[in-house]
Amino acid sequence: MTWWLVSFTRSGPARYLSHLDTARVVQRTFARAAVPIALSQGMRPKPRISLPLPLPVGAAGLDELAVVEVPEDAPGPAEALRALRAAAPPGVEPVGIVEAGEAHPRPQAVAAEYACVVDGDAGALAAAVERYGIEETVMYERRSPKGDRTFDLKEYVVAVTAEPLAGGAHIGFTVRHRADGAARSQEFIDLIATWARVEPAMRGLERRCVVWKAMPPAPSAGEEGRVSL
Amino acid sequence: MSRPGRYVGGEFNTRVKAGARHRVVLSYPDVYEIGVSNPALQILYSHINDATPAAAERAYCPWPDMADLMRAARVPLWSLETMTAVSDCDLWGFTLPHELCYTNVLEMLDLAGVPLHAGERGEADPIVLGGGPSVADPWPVAPFFDAFFIGEVEHRLDAIVAALDAPSRAARLQALAAIPGVWVPGSAGGPAERQVFMGFSASPPVLRPVVPVLEAVHDRVVIEVMRGCTAGCRFCQAGMWSRPVRERPVDLVVEAADRLLDETGCDEVSLLSLSSCDYSGIEEALTRIRALRPGLRVSLPSLRIDSAADSLSRFAADQRGSVTLAPEAGTQELRDAINKGVDETQFEDAVRATFSGGFTGLKLYFMIGLPGETDADVLGIARMAGTAARLAKEIARGRARLSVSVSSYVPKAFTPYQLEPFADAATLRQRQRLVREAMPRHVRVAFHDVAASEVEATLARGGPGSDRLVEEAWRRGARFDGWSEHFDARHWQAAAAATGLELGASGHDGASGTPWEAVIDAGLDHDFLAAELERGRRGELTADCRDGACGACGVCGGGIEMEVLG
Repeated sequence: MTWWLVSFTRSGPARYLSHLDTARVVQRTFARAAVPIALSQGMRPKPRISLPLPLPVGAAGLDELAVVEVPEDAPGPAEALRALRAAAPPGVEPVGIVEAGEAHPRPQAVAAEYACVVDGDAGALAAAVERYGIEETVMYERRSPKGDRTFDLKEYVVAVTAEPLAGGAHIGFTVRHRADGAARSQEFIDLIATWARVEPAMRGLERRCVVWKAMPPAPSAGEEGRVSL
Repeated sequence: MSRPGRYVGGEFNTRVKAGARHRVVLSYPDVYEIGVSNPALQILYSHINDATPAAAERAYCPWPDMADLMRAARVPLWSLETMTAVSDCDLWGFTLPHELCYTNVLEMLDLAGVPLHAGERGEADPIVLGGGPSVADPWPVAPFFDAFFIGEVEHRLDAIVAALDAPSRAARLQALAAIPGVWVPGSAGGPAERQVFMGFSASPPVLRPVVPVLEAVHDRVVIEVMRGCTAGCRFCQAGMWSRPVRERPVDLVVEAADRLLDETGCDEVSLLSLSSCDYSGIEEALTRIRALRPGLRVSLPSLRIDSAADSLSRFAADQRGSVTLAPEAGTQELRDAINKGVDETQFEDAVRATFSGGFTGLKLYFMIGLPGETDADVLGIARMAGTAARLAKEIARGRARLSVSVSSYVPKAFTPYQLEPFADAATLRQRQRLVREAMPRHVRVAFHDVAASEVEATLARGGPGSDRLVEEAWRRGARFDGWSEHFDARHWQAAAAATGLELGASGHDGASGTPWEAVIDAGLDHDFLAAELERGRRGELTADCRDGACGACGVCGGGIEMEVLG
């Protein structure tokens, strides 16, 4: 068995898919492309595929990753990538495949960079972002049916920026993924919106890139095993 | 908003046809996950896009949370393909699968900004065309549609699209009215003839279906192997309405399965028809389709009890989890009366085969409120469930689930029972109690909501003026009436009080013909329906005409005939 790390983008209509639906689409794309996925053992075998970092519904992802186990008779990454690109639905675009050995650890997200637009007074939004940068701690209370949790948002959301736009601001931020979890992009935007006294509505949320731990190194140019466009 | 992916399209095999001469929007008046799986809409979508100069797009009924947002933001209903307003299209086609979706039609018209009543529409509004199984009685929605198409439409689609070339709305409607099978409410002339697509057997099924990216109710390759059913169950509108039987050759079915597996990426094939076990090529088709891919599952949506024991032994490898059997009635007398004809030995054999075959669940489907039903018939439901429970214990030793579903019978147009009364709500509730009290412990029994059945019964045989009930109920908040979490009987009761219509009553005695027969010719001989009613009262069975004995239903002739594989 071999692991493939399939990088893809999710945009357009596909940005409104849930995490589970996105995984189904990737799996369905493999099936339409006639690229086999290894199956789990058991009474009801399931395809061995996972998307390690869920993308919020409504967000575009420019650097998404699917971890797929393929059987020995799978085509090579180059041929597979061509077939996957032809079989994918609008808004889902496979862009590269990295082949990893069976023993290679699964990649884990370390950090993810986001950007979005928040409508409202650009000056107030910029001031809120500046305040966030200055504050030493920003305690945030997350309420959920599983129980409430209070944490310091600054431990998770870093590198915040604001660029004024007509009628709003373009907000950039990086979310760190730690062993105890991560903050949600909406939580950070809610805070900024509250401080700026604007509606906490963001548009065009994009996850621009993800930093992974245990990502296999890129093979040298021309080497089989890594294919990207 | 829940599941925004419902409203953005982007599925596999979606067609976006730029520069098309006409824009047609196709709608199924229910939520996306239900509508996107509808095979009829897939046929229309493929044909219009791939074989006519028009572009076909789709719109489904927004869930109430989305509808509220759209109204608040004043955003009109859009199509999934181009995200442009549905109201700007040339033709808006609805398929009407059942009566409880009628308020959703009004909801969609309203969300689109299209006037509810055809008479109020102007030159800029689309022509709204209705079709599908429920148009057997179009009266409850007649004023909301400019025209209806009655029957199977495949061979008339080109003419319908060509009618859109006419220079004005009136001229387009006139051109549509000239097409066989089209009924324009208020127009003069005789009844519209139900259309039968005699090219069915020779034509392949849809080979590039839209494959949803959200989880839909059906996630499998669907191949219609046979159209029509002549088993002759006297309660069944689909069986009467879709005659005659036409079968697709096995080669065509297998080739389609092979191509569709590639095209969709599905790992299951469903052979669709009203009674797939009756398909003459079933054995060969199953064998050859299973051989197409390792591990491929082939499912049949319906099993006949009289042949279920045999069928289950052949299909056991493909079926997952549970089996549904439909004895329909609890005693032999009543089963004979409705021409179901299944005997208890066949039923027990089918149950044994279910549990012996390793299936983990059995669902039994019955109806109450059938014409001529007595308390003894109703108690027979519990007795048969008891038999199944005993066999489950003996054979499956507690590893199998048994559940019973009991619905209320709704008499439908163009069946032998079309003039029989709907059992009143009090009687149905009393019979539900009888079943519940007599049902063995540990057997789960589910009943359909009597109030919803009462609404369905009113609309299934509504006459002119019954549309007022639909509109009034919608104005009071009724929508998604087929969903138990949304159905609210109070809207309908208030609407009935406001309009003076009685829920559950058909409002006519048939002495001077029925309202639906005045505008639709289903091809069924009225005397045949009357004779079947009498035979049912005498408990006489009528044989399936595909076995050789013509029942003189009146459908065949004039180029329409049964096409069964040799």
